Amino acid sequence: MISLWQAHVSFAMIIFLVLPSFGLPRTWRIALLAALLAVSFIPLDGLSLAAYLRSYIDDLAITSMVFMAWGCLRRLDILPPARGKTGVLILFAAMALVLYPATLGMSDLDPYRFGYSPRPLLIFLAVLTLGLFYLRNGLAVVMLASATLAFIAGIKPSQNYWDYLVDPLLGLYCCAALLMLAVRWTYRLATQRRGAASGSV
Amino acid sequence: MMRIKLPNVPALGAYLALSCLFAAAWFVNPANTHSSFALISPVMAVAGKVAKPIYTSRFASSGLVDFVHSSAVTALPDGSLMTVWFAGSREGAADVQVRSARFDPKTGEWGAEKVLATRDSTQQGTRKYIRKLGNPVVALAPDNRVWLFYVSVSMGGWAGSAVNVMVSDDFGESWSAPRQLITSPFLNISTLVRSAPVFHADGSIGLPVYHEFLGKFAEYLYLSADGNVIDKFRISHGNNSLQPTVVPLDGQRGIALLRYAGDTHHRVLATRTEDAGQTWSEPYPLDPSNPNSSLAAVATPEHGLLVALNDLQEGRFKLSLYGTDAKMDDWRSLRDLDKSPDPEGAPFSPEAYKEIIGREFRGSSGALRQPLEAQFLDNLDNRVCKSQGCEFEYEYPYFIRSPDGMYHLVYSWNNTFIKHVSFNDAWLNERRK
Repeated sequence: MISLWQAHVSFAMIIFLVLPSFGLPRTWRIALLAALLAVSFIPLDGLSLAAYLRSYIDDLAITSMVFMAWGCLRRLDILPPARGKTGVLILFAAMALVLYPATLGMSDLDPYRFGYSPRPLLIFLAVLTLGLFYLRNGLAVVMLASATLAFIAGIKPSQNYWDYLVDPLLGLYCCAALLMLAVRWTYRLATQRRGAASGSV
Repeated sequence: MMRIKLPNVPALGAYLALSCLFAAAWFVNPANTHSSFALISPVMAVAGKVAKPIYTSRFASSGLVDFVHSSAVTALPDGSLMTVWFAGSREGAADVQVRSARFDPKTGEWGAEKVLATRDSTQQGTRKYIRKLGNPVVALAPDNRVWLFYVSVSMGGWAGSAVNVMVSDDFGESWSAPRQLITSPFLNISTLVRSAPVFHADGSIGLPVYHEFLGKFAEYLYLSADGNVIDKFRISHGNNSLQPTVVPLDGQRGIALLRYAGDTHHRVLATRTEDAGQTWSEPYPLDPSNPNSSLAAVATPEHGLLVALNDLQEGRFKLSLYGTDAKMDDWRSLRDLDKSPDPEGAPFSPEAYKEIIGREFRGSSGALRQPLEAQFLDNLDNRVCKSQGCEFEYEYPYFIRSPDGMYHLVYSWNNTFIKHVSFNDAWLNERRK
């Protein structure tokens, strides 16, 4: 029942990352994460809280687990900031935008099918991962490599490579984060232009 | 002059490790092979021996208070049949269960109802919260395992459906715990079953499914012999087709008939495959009408099709049996299986309805259920009667041909009973004259 263990870990990490830090010292933050893991086991009408959350978000992709684990370790000040986080956002937002609308019927082509006999997809992902390593985007490389390793081991109930690579939660987060980055960038650019214009008068 | 910077040893090691990782994934994931349709040849009548025409009917379910719907049937090796359907206080209610019954060929009657799956059992098996259950389908595989697929919803309406599977190694005496098939990357929602699974020569299972979230379209799920989804193929696209019924014609060729869910022509859609379900032609409308209702089809020995459907523009007050050739050009009505006495399907007053349905009950129930008539009439409620009156509904047919050559059809009889109709080739030949 790896999916249930995954559900408990997901439950703890999602809530830990959503909650503010409250200015707590590291030890207390670790304790909070452990407490959330314990809370995930609380049963309600025969199902644990983690199982309820899993009912709505399904089993997350391995990339999401790695991304959230990275987020938690960052929150605990164990890891330094990752290089190329924007690259990660672009990569997984693109994957989600390619996959979900088409699979749900908005295109005649179903890209999800490529995940069942995934050799062409594996070649593409291998080139992409090596490219990302060349660019020293360690986070993206670890996410993709972990997903592929888990796919080889078959630790999820799905036989489709896509289910290891991306999930709607990751896709949504990446799209929203990119949108916010774009808004911030546009605002900064507009402020700079206004500043330059007033300076030239 | 530009100098090329060579990667250092740890970086080279990382490149090598990553390459090995993807190479390993490449080696352990070869392309799936796709098997041809399994050809099941029913026993034909012995030469020189003239078979007598047979057409019989009876109720398969026996409960008197529940809303019953969406039945399916399979033939078992001992000559018996197993039917499954869902039953509860109303469609989509939390108390809906998947039930089954067994047909005893010696008595010619269906036995007691048995509960196969509930919201609770599905919740325990899948470890997910389950709001409601829906359409079940059942089929005996060539390896003598009985497969049950049924729909469940954790959030939202039917568009949020997932497909659950249970399997029995002892012809339905005991079942595995339910588990969910992974059919969609988007929260594993928006996949429903309704029509008969199709088996392939290597034991793999073709499961016709449909989506009704962003689009309304049909797919052919390809499952390994142990019930894992290993591929999927689009049968149709867009927003106007549901509930494919797939009929193999030979090892490679097959036809899928589709429920029309659009707003224009209201006709049955058809599409063809020439490669055992991997690619499908563009769906096209056929002669019979379809009021956005489920239909079922089965192949005949003359390479034609028998189709049970509501050949109506609107409503489901008449269920008809048609025969057609493999080209589906020539459609012949063979029998109205059940219909409202009103040709337009207009509602009746409760008093008039009670009298008519009492008559229909006696004509449909079979000997074993006959004594239930008075109780049945006392229990008529909002399953059949609304504020505008009481209506007849004969819908959701499911068709099989058993190894002994008999045709079996089950369908919802006014959402109060599951009705079973069986007939043979001799009866068909007589109707075709």
